[in-house]
Amino acid sequence: MRLRMFLLCAAISAVAIGKPVTVPVVYYRLPNGLKVVISESHAAPTVTVALYYGVGFRVEPKGRTGFAHLFEHMMFQGSANVKKMEHAKIVESNGGNLNGSTRLDFTNYYETLPSDRVETALWLESDRMRSLDVSEENLKNQKNVVSEEVRVNVLNQPYALFEWLDIWQSANQNWFNAHNFYGDLRDIEAAKLDEVRQFFKTYYAPNNAALVIAGDVSPDAVRALVEKYFGDIPLQSVPERPDVSEPRQTKEIRLKQTDKLATVPALALGYHLPDQNSADYAPMVLLDLILQGDESSRLYQRLVKEKAISVDWSGGINFELGNEFDYDGPMLLVSRTTYKPGHSGDEIVKEVDAIVLQVQQQGVTKKELTDAKVRFRSNFYDQLESTMGKAHLLATFALFHDDPAQINKVLDAIDAVTLDQVQSVARKYLVPENRTAIDRVPEKKEAK
Amino acid sequence: MRRFALALLLALCVPAFGEQKTPPPPTPPRPIPWPAITEKKLDNGLTVVMAPLASVPKITTELTFLAGRGTEYRTHPGLAQLAGRVLTEGTNGRTSRQLKEELRSIGGSMSVSVDDDATTITASALSEFSPQLFDLLGDVARHPAYAKSEVALARSNFASEIEEERSTPDFVAEEQLDKAIFGRHPYAFVVPEPTEIEKVTPEQLKAFAGARYVPNNAHLIIVGDFDPAAIYDQAQKAFGSWQRQPLAAEATAVPPRRDKRQIYFVDRPSSVQSTIAIGALAMPRQSPDYMSLRTAHMIYGGAFYSRLTLNIREAKGYTYSPYSQVNLRRRSGSFSANAAVRNEVTGPTILEMLYELDRMRVAPVTKEELDAAKTYSIGGLSLELESQAGMASRINSIYTYDLARDFLQMFQTRLDALTPDDIQKAAAKYFDTYRGAIVVVGDYGQVKDQIAPFGDVVVVKH
Repeated sequence: MRLRMFLLCAAISAVAIGKPVTVPVVYYRLPNGLKVVISESHAAPTVTVALYYGVGFRVEPKGRTGFAHLFEHMMFQGSANVKKMEHAKIVESNGGNLNGSTRLDFTNYYETLPSDRVETALWLESDRMRSLDVSEENLKNQKNVVSEEVRVNVLNQPYALFEWLDIWQSANQNWFNAHNFYGDLRDIEAAKLDEVRQFFKTYYAPNNAALVIAGDVSPDAVRALVEKYFGDIPLQSVPERPDVSEPRQTKEIRLKQTDKLATVPALALGYHLPDQNSADYAPMVLLDLILQGDESSRLYQRLVKEKAISVDWSGGINFELGNEFDYDGPMLLVSRTTYKPGHSGDEIVKEVDAIVLQVQQQGVTKKELTDAKVRFRSNFYDQLESTMGKAHLLATFALFHDDPAQINKVLDAIDAVTLDQVQSVARKYLVPENRTAIDRVPEKKEAK
Repeated sequence: MRRFALALLLALCVPAFGEQKTPPPPTPPRPIPWPAITEKKLDNGLTVVMAPLASVPKITTELTFLAGRGTEYRTHPGLAQLAGRVLTEGTNGRTSRQLKEELRSIGGSMSVSVDDDATTITASALSEFSPQLFDLLGDVARHPAYAKSEVALARSNFASEIEEERSTPDFVAEEQLDKAIFGRHPYAFVVPEPTEIEKVTPEQLKAFAGARYVPNNAHLIIVGDFDPAAIYDQAQKAFGSWQRQPLAAEATAVPPRRDKRQIYFVDRPSSVQSTIAIGALAMPRQSPDYMSLRTAHMIYGGAFYSRLTLNIREAKGYTYSPYSQVNLRRRSGSFSANAAVRNEVTGPTILEMLYELDRMRVAPVTKEELDAAKTYSIGGLSLELESQAGMASRINSIYTYDLARDFLQMFQTRLDALTPDDIQKAAAKYFDTYRGAIVVVGDYGQVKDQIAPFGDVVVVKH
């Protein structure tokens, strides 16, 4: 009887999964090594052109924290045929928007435009790939701009992004994972023009990049344009990646910080994660959703609702930087909470351990796991919705796995996860000796 | 030599290889394929607007009540905001936890925002679960429980959030600017004092919801991958039997006309930057000046390639992300220019921000600038088609501000009609900092001498 019930339920849920979404993927490499992905869709009359270079702040030069990001700014300072700020002028006056960003393992440059302007974007990206043109004056200007960016996002803010910058620096031992990714102001100030030119020559090669064109375009027409603009950019030798591996953590790390600008205390936690390619990864993704994926999750319910210690709860894999797939190296699972004065970070850690212990001993429920898969699917569709969201996943799958079609295999891997696997990864990874906790409290103000 | 000839030959056969010196020529503008928007009205007065957009198999809804955060703020500050935030914390038939678990099982989300004019419940789910989504949305809107324990928790969390927000310079600057611009008008109200929240009771919240969260004070926007006939049935099922109620008149108040510039300095010791907001009173969203002010703002500081960015970022290196914003609402609105800069360049930055504002007022923009702003505006609007949430919010603005129903379709035509003279007139009228406010949040001890030349300074305690 129970078995038959189960089969019936399985049949219903198979029907309820809804229309499958398949992202069209055309993938090839130019002779110069450039990876090219074209994904056609006509939901909106728009296109994203995204160029991802395989270098991020993780491997930036020692003694030059923040350099990869400073360099990203320099890519907007002009190339042979596009003067400083002309890139933005051309994209915007064609009805598009643009940006660039630096992350752990890539730096991206992208524009989303009305789809009939796709050629303009390809011309712009090819011009700066072949001929970055920087000057002392522009470098000085952008050092100032980037220093203000660090001030506005870190130094003048309560908490100073401690759930990202400080957790990574405290939880890791290998410099590549444990330095200040946004950059020390003195290092940013010390950067030199020939270092900028050298970084460009070293990493900004067609054979170290993935170019994605996603949206309302015809793959054949785009293919010809890609050949026209990128075909003759010479390949370069790219140095081997340094060893970014992280030694296993053996002892819990607990830190306390004071904050001059905050008025309410906060706590951040970080756990080292299994490798993205390991069988433990997909279960970990779902366990994260069950523990802290939304307001029904175990940690939110316990800390915010039942105990009323936390004011909020957020967290995730690659938290505040990206998603479960867009990196290539050691990674942390992070939680962040602001909590009510009168309580302590230790109290919260105790509650977290109690919640985790429950999962380790009894596992999660079948309903929680089924729901987490639905939650994942829904979140994943959100990422696929915009042409940039889709281009982002395609680019990182191309860059890190040489296989952008993985975008269509993600949901199957998630759907295959079992209850036992979820319980097992909770036992393996969510243990105190794999954890770093930072309790950040307001600095006591002297009475005036 | 032969290779050279071959290359030349190739150059004739296919588009030129290698470096191309100029951008590809622009293509002529195309009409934008806006979704078919259907508007219906239920007998109880609820307006239902549907726009199919099959970007992904999901559905997004926005249910908006015309009840802003300033409603009753003089007698009950925070009441409207608490009424909104406790909506998703349980109904007569579902606990908060049940509600969140049901949402999880349909890949759903539900959140409530309360702005100057409206309370909006935004809810989304996978398309295949749309009946469950409407069931939840109907229950939340019609039968909120306002349980004692949930109200107590929400009060305490809201108070902590306010304290936290007030430690961030952007929030402090925005709050102070609204106060300065709107004076005794309800738009001056941003958040209550944490101590005031304690006084709000479950009974008051219930009464507020009963009077304001009613179908004849609401519109429902539905965007996503669905069949309109089926979705309309689901909406009718969820909301059809909802009773209309008599509505209280919206309070009227006139924002103050200032006769001189005033500087408000919020002292935040230990700040390593000054957060600057220069603003002035503008006009309601329905004003015929909308298109010209919007475009003036694009040229001044609404795009990356804008005068403000070119000056204080790319030429001077004072700041990272300067911007301007036009915030027009049902009854009034404001314009502001914003930048966060290191302490030592506070004065020079204000000087340049004011200079660029005045330059817009005394000289016409170039044709090239205006054409670029037009293409950027229409392109930006068409990019909203990439997202169900973006389209839902765009369509919602048509109903919240009661705009012409062909706003999207007519946007390009109205934009094309603008001349440099229109832009200058709008700037002259609305970029008037001689009757505006300058707010600086920063370390007063360090930067006060740089501020003094710009006008009278009131120091506000942080």
